[in-house]
Amino acid sequence: MRYALSKLAHGLFLVLGVTLISFILMVWFGPDQTYTLIGKNANPQQIAEVRHELGYDQPFARRYVDYVAQLFTLNLGASNSSGEPVSRILKRTVPITLALMLPGFILGNLLGIALGLTAAQHRGRWTDHLINGFSVTGMSLSFLVIIILLQVLLSTPYGLNLFPVRGWQVDDPGSYLKYVTVPTLSLILVTLGYNTRFYRAVFVDESGKDHIRTARACGASTATILWKHVLKNSLVPVLTRIMFSIPLIVISGSLLLESYFGIPGIGKATFDAITSGDQPVLKAVVGLTAVAFVLIQILTDLLYRLVDPRIS
Amino acid sequence: MNPPVLSIRNLSVSNRRTKQPSAVVQQISFNLNPGEVLAVVGESGCGKTKTAEAIMGLLPRDGWSVQADAIELDGSDLAKLPESGLRRVRGRKISMIFQEPLTALDPVFTAGNQLASIFRRHRGKTRSEAYQCSMEMLSKVGFADTRNVLKSYPHQLSGGMRQRVMIAMAMACRPRVLIADEPTTALDVTTQAQVLDQLTRLGQEYGTSILLITHDPGVVAQYCDRALVMLEGRIVEDANVRDLFARPQHDYTRRLLASVAGVGSG
Repeated sequence: MRYALSKLAHGLFLVLGVTLISFILMVWFGPDQTYTLIGKNANPQQIAEVRHELGYDQPFARRYVDYVAQLFTLNLGASNSSGEPVSRILKRTVPITLALMLPGFILGNLLGIALGLTAAQHRGRWTDHLINGFSVTGMSLSFLVIIILLQVLLSTPYGLNLFPVRGWQVDDPGSYLKYVTVPTLSLILVTLGYNTRFYRAVFVDESGKDHIRTARACGASTATILWKHVLKNSLVPVLTRIMFSIPLIVISGSLLLESYFGIPGIGKATFDAITSGDQPVLKAVVGLTAVAFVLIQILTDLLYRLVDPRIS
Repeated sequence: MNPPVLSIRNLSVSNRRTKQPSAVVQQISFNLNPGEVLAVVGESGCGKTKTAEAIMGLLPRDGWSVQADAIELDGSDLAKLPESGLRRVRGRKISMIFQEPLTALDPVFTAGNQLASIFRRHRGKTRSEAYQCSMEMLSKVGFADTRNVLKSYPHQLSGGMRQRVMIAMAMACRPRVLIADEPTTALDVTTQAQVLDQLTRLGQEYGTSILLITHDPGVVAQYCDRALVMLEGRIVEDANVRDLFARPQHDYTRRLLASVAGVGSG
């Protein structure tokens, strides 16, 4: 508990650091929105009024504190393009993104771990070579090819025509399955090669340790060695990879899937905000991502202690 | 005389990874008699450890090739057993202790977990029975505070304590043969004596023959009945310890003994 608190205090400084950087880049040196809001033919008084409303006349420190307060109260203003409050945009899009990404993310990692273990167990034999071959093939195929191929095969009259090509009209488990299947398969196929290669390397490294030889010398079976000794000893690198890919998967991974499948999640919202220069949305996404990274780091540190008794 | 417990006939080990397959152990044969403590001495890289790992069947098959006419343990040939058969023998009839006690134990499981798993695997004990047996075994190897040791992770124990946990694990099933691969090299001198005393005393009590790999002639003189001297993958001398020190036959043995002050002269 004391450890958790000290980590949290440490994390607070990190949060201040990352928000300061994102503030400087996104807000202080960010685009001036005065003329976007009031048009070309404004008089000086109108300009001053809008600048005051936007807070541009405030000193640096004041504006930074306001920004951090906005992030923490989720009171982030309204989108420039639609006028919808940013907090409501987040509330609408983030659950969709999580529902879209989670199955593929979890399955992709579990499959990667299973394949990595299998390859490590049969190191140097044909099973290992086969898995390696598939992984390299998967890594070399462009995600474009994988997504389009799956869409053609599963969602068009040229293939099985079982699922919708794009969109997200989810209101019950059945329709959820209908819309989530193809994106999930795409995500698994795109990430599986990388996952498998990474996990295999971790497990092979762990299999060469002295204590694995001891376990064998004591008569442990291959299954015991893999699932008990190798897996538990590998949990630190495995956890690190999984935890730190969460923010990336939510923002960049979903950007990819959501734009190809026309799904209104946070990735799509971010993409639209970038192309239209929608500042309130962007600074919310950037700031919150930074905060999420710090929180995940704290959580990861706490999890390390659960899986490895040597860390204290 | 009783038949040997362990009988090795023409054992060779070679590395497949090198360009020309190089033999690290070449055609060695020896017997280990019941109740005997047999030393294997020789400098680093002479093939002592590889011999031991080959007997246990622990060498990874993709990297090493092991050939032997026979590796007979109590009359059954380990060289002909499949991996599944070896697994039932390892830790039960023949077990091994390693040089580096810090890395030889699994860092993320408690000593109790690792010790108890052997009783559960080989003796079919339930969880609570296995912990009971583990406590008894730990007091056998000289621990007073067995309950605490059971709950400790390897990094919380000292080097000597870890090695005694290893001994407890290796001797848990009263094996016929124990291979101890330089069990005290990583320990300080006073702990060395304790650990070796414990090991040989337990060996006598359980009727376990011990193959003690070492490069310390002092250890050979004090603890062993017979010694094999290895040089470059071959056994160059096989003699009683008394004869070995009194009348070393091979030139290498003489030099090896002379390298330790005061031992060769007696």
